[in-house]
Formats: sequence, C-alpha cells, structure tokens
Amino acid sequence: MVKQRIADTVDRVSVGMLLSHPLSVGFILLSLVVIYAASNFPNDSLFGPSFFPILTSVGIIVFAAADMLNGGETELEMSDIDVRPPTVVLGLLVAYVLAIPILGFWVGSMLFLGVLLYYSGIRSPLLLVGLSLGVPTLLFYVFGRIFLVRLPEAIIPVSRLLPQLPLVVGV
Amino acid sequence: MTVDYIVQGALNATDPLAVGLMILGILLGILMGSIPGMTATMTIAVLLSFTFTMDPANGMMLLLGIYGGAVYAGSIPAILIRTPGTPSAAATIFDGYPLSQRGEAGRAIRVATIASFVGGFISVLALMFFSPVIADAALNFRSPEFFALAVFGLTIIASVSGDSVTKGMVSGLLGMLVATVGIDPITGYHRFTFDLPALLTGVEFIAVMIGLFGIAEGLRKYGQGIKTDRERVDQDVSGALPSLSDLRAILPVSAGGGILGSLIGSIPGAGGDIAAFITYNEATRWIKDAVPSFGDGNIRGVAAAESGNNASTGGALIPTLTLGIPGDSVSAILIGALLVHDVNPGPGLYQDEPELLYTIFVGFLLIYVFILVFGLLGANYWARLINIPKQFLWPVILLLCVIGAIALRGNLFDAWIMLGSGVLGYAMRLRGYPLAPMVLGLILAPIAEENLRRSLELSNGSPDIFLTSPIALIILLLSVGTILLPAVRALRE
Repeated sequence: MVKQRIADTVDRVSVGMLLSHPLSVGFILLSLVVIYAASNFPNDSLFGPSFFPILTSVGIIVFAAADMLNGGETELEMSDIDVRPPTVVLGLLVAYVLAIPILGFWVGSMLFLGVLLYYSGIRSPLLLVGLSLGVPTLLFYVFGRIFLVRLPEAIIPVSRLLPQLPLVVGV
Repeated sequence: MTVDYIVQGALNATDPLAVGLMILGILLGILMGSIPGMTATMTIAVLLSFTFTMDPANGMMLLLGIYGGAVYAGSIPAILIRTPGTPSAAATIFDGYPLSQRGEAGRAIRVATIASFVGGFISVLALMFFSPVIADAALNFRSPEFFALAVFGLTIIASVSGDSVTKGMVSGLLGMLVATVGIDPITGYHRFTFDLPALLTGVEFIAVMIGLFGIAEGLRKYGQGIKTDRERVDQDVSGALPSLSDLRAILPVSAGGGILGSLIGSIPGAGGDIAAFITYNEATRWIKDAVPSFGDGNIRGVAAAESGNNASTGGALIPTLTLGIPGDSVSAILIGALLVHDVNPGPGLYQDEPELLYTIFVGFLLIYVFILVFGLLGANYWARLINIPKQFLWPVILLLCVIGAIALRGNLFDAWIMLGSGVLGYAMRLRGYPLAPMVLGLILAPIAEENLRRSLELSNGSPDIFLTSPIALIILLLSVGTILLPAVRALRE
C-alpha cells in the first residue's frame, strides 16, 4: 500500500505542481545554492564549517519536497487577498529607508508617516500634521536624546536645530 | 541563599523606575492586547528597541509587563465582540461572548481578570521554585544532551505551530540556515558574509524578528483592508469587584487552570492558545453540573480559559531561562532581549546572574498584581480601546519597526534585513507557513550546531555518542516521534 502511495505521489509531480508551490520551489533552489557554496568551504574535517549549512539545506529540501507532494492544503486562498495595498506600503517602506541617509531620521519619518497615514485613510489635516510631526519628534527625543541611540542624520542636519532636553535621563 | 536572592530581587523590582516600567509595559500590553490582531509577540518585537540601552532587569520589567498585559487584555475583545485580541484568548469566546450577549460583559471581564491573575501568579511561582531545580539538573548536560534538546525544541514547535508539520519544519530549518551566516563558531571561517562587515557577526536576529512579526503582520493587515477593519463597543462594563459567589465559583477552576497552564506552557511551542483550550476542555470534563452549561455563558469557562493562557506565560519562561530553549515566540524574543545585554539564558544563568533572575521572578509576580488592580479598576476604559481605528496604529507600528532595527547597531543595514524578513514572512504567511519555528530555528541553530559538531568530534564522527547518553536518546526519540506521528497518521488516512 505504501509503495502504491509513493508511486502515486511521484506521478503527481508536474510543472503545474511546481508552479503552484513557488515558495517550496524557491526554498529548494536556495538550499541547492547553499549546498554548492558550502561545499567550497575549506574543510579540515568532516564536521567543518560546511557541515551544518549542508545538513540544514538537505533538511529543507526533504521537508519542502514532502510538503509539495502532500499537496500543501493549508495554503490560503490567494484570490481573497488584495496584494496592491501591501505592495504600496512596502514601496513606501523601501523609499523611507532609502531616503533616511539623505533626509535623516526626523524629516524622513515625518514624510513617511504623513504619506502612510494619508494612504491608510486619514483625511483630517489636523491629525495628519499633528501625528506626522509629533510622533517622529517624540521618537527622536526618546531614542536620540534619552536612550542616546545614534540616529541617522540628514545631509543638512536639521534635527540639530531641535532644542536639547533640559536633563538627560538614563535608564 | 535563595531567600537572600528573593529579598534582593524584591528590592530591585520595587525600585521606582522598575515599577514605572512595569506599569508602562502593562498599559502598552493592555492597549495592544485589547485591539484584535495586535498580538503580544508583535508588540514585544516592535517595542524591544526601547530596552536596548536599559539595564537588563529594567528592560525585562517593561517587556514582561507588555507580555502579561497583552495576554490578559486579549480576553476583552473576545468577550465583547467575539474576536480574540490575541490568539491565546480564543477559548475565552466560548463562554465570554454568551455572557456579553446576556448583558453581563462586565461580570465576564472581572472574572477574566481574577482568573488571569490567579493563573499568572501560580505560573510565576512555579517558575520561581521549579526552574532552579531544572537548571541544576541541566548543569550536568553535555554536548549530546544540548544538541538533542535543540532538535526537540525545533520539532515540537514545528508540529504544534501551524497546520502542517512539513511547513513548520521548513520554517524552522530556514531559521537555522539564516543563523549560519557569519563567523563559524568553531573554525572562525566566514560563512556567506559576502565580504560585508555587518554580516561578520551574523544576521541580527532581532531585526529578523521585527520583520517577521511587525512588518509581515502589517503588510498582511493592509492586504486584508485596513480601512474597513473597525469594531464598535458601546456596552457599559463599569463596576470593580466580582461578587463573593462568583469568586467562590471561579477560584478552584482558576487554580487548577493555573497549574495545568503552567505545565503546558513549559512545553516548547505550546503557547497560551493551546494551554487555554486544554484547560477549558479539562474544566468541561471535570465539572459535570455546570449551570448554565459550558458554552452558554458559564463564568467557570471564562476562568478556565483565562487562567490557562496566563499561566502559560510563566510556564514558557521555564525552558527559556533554564535551558535556553524558548517556550513560545514571545520568550524567543525575550531571549533576544537578554542576549543584547550579553546575558545568555541557560543553566549557567542561575549561577552567573541569580540576582537578575530573582528580580525577573519577583517583578513578574508584581506585574500580575498590577494587572489585577488595573484590570478591575479600568475595565470600562480598556473596553473602549477596541474602538481605536487601526488606520492610526499601523503606520506608527511600521515606523517603530524601522527605528527598532536602526537602534540595534545604529546602521541601516539591519533595517534592510528587517524589511527583507518582513517580505519573506508575509509571503510565508500567505502560503500557510508558521513563523514561530523560524524564530526558534534562529535561536536554536548556534546551540544545535556547536553541540552537534563538538559531540561528533569527541566521538570521532560516530553517532553512537547520542545513543550512549540515555537523556539524549530519549529526547531524540521524542523528536523523531513528533515528526513521524503526523506522517504515519496521514498515511493511514
């Protein structure tokens, strides 16, 4: 019975099945690349630096393949999900991180928050301006001035114009 | 000796700054836990960056406050709008929502508060008195036992956190693979670093966690439609104390739920949701004469579920602190918080940092006392938190994710790692992969690799070293069983 089941499972392998499991295929390909790269590591013994990455990659291949052959019924119905909003939000996040070295944390965060709040449906000008100015300024003081975290500055460091706290509080 | 540590821990935990951080953490936890979709894991991952420059004990007070507060507050929307604030409050719906429909939401919330306190308090007592014994025994563990424990932690979390064991294992192994980036712990060889100095110390796993639990969840929420995602609560839940008859009815159930929940919580991977369902189920089995019956609005049902899920918090810290194996995804992040301060969870912690440990224990007890007080006095206010529109919250949360990643080492590289992890996590969530095993894999990989290679070097490559250690053998057999059992069941079906 088990033999028959294995034969049936092998019969099910097709291009369509591979396309319907993009993550599993991606993980298997990544593992193959890792095995190739790790096999070029210098190994003085069998249990050198390549041993664990190869072992882990083999495990990923085995379980990802088993998942594909199982049918992966736990996958969500993709048609229920609108991928446009997450793509826009991700684009904003990427633009924000790219802009931080130019605009600095303070100004960059104000712009990011303002645009994202607007995209999220906030239309009140008072809320938009208040939150976009207030939250980054508060975080700037908490992290930059109280926790003394070195936050990225702009090419023109406008955040230095912000008044200093009267007392540095350490926790 | 232990009494001295308890006294010292009490002194540290009652320091005004520590108490202030506990209260702040509880309020943040209640705020996020009351809002459906904002889990304790996500809240702690996003706010972890606030603790980087704090003293480790103070940082833990803030994080444990969030943890306890969020797990407790998850019951509020479960009772009021039939939507659990956190996954661990799912079982609270069974009796909490029918009570709310009868106009007794305030009574249900007060019962949930008392039960949360009893369950949480018992679990912290269990942590305080049993964990030193486990840590003491674990001091005798050598490489084979630690390797076996790491494998066991991974397999059990893969099997319980999601619908598919294979997907869970892929997720966990992927985390392990990511953890191999950086300098090889034994030979010092640079693995997959691409000559980038930022990768020499490996991928910052806190950045990965923020990405997996913050960014990925945010993208998912936007994908589901954040603009329509709004609830409305207008019920009056004022009043502070439950009646004596209610107290008499719920205290034994809560105590039982506290003990059982602590036990379940201490199993790696079995978090608050599983603990709550099991304690609820046990309550329905043991209490035969329930009036009204369970599922129709019995306060003992609420008490069983809430004591169970809150008891899992202290239980989850038992393997986390004694063995370095996270009990759930929150405790995995707590390990990260300790590692930032060069504090390594594991049996050595009980010898190296007893004062910190007892500060955590006493502080966590105090946190549950505060939860009791705030829960009873502020129920009417917490219930209104559900009305906060999420359009305000998610943009701020995403901003906090970025600043959290930057604050790790003060560079943007970690922000890119976080974004990459967020995209991966989002894609994995869409395809049904659980993320908790990935985080566990990241944490367990160094333990597993170092101890596996050391064991095999010691035995000249022979795997017999794992068979000659009875403890390692038993743990490995349990791990194999955890993987094979669902497969055998599937084959039979």
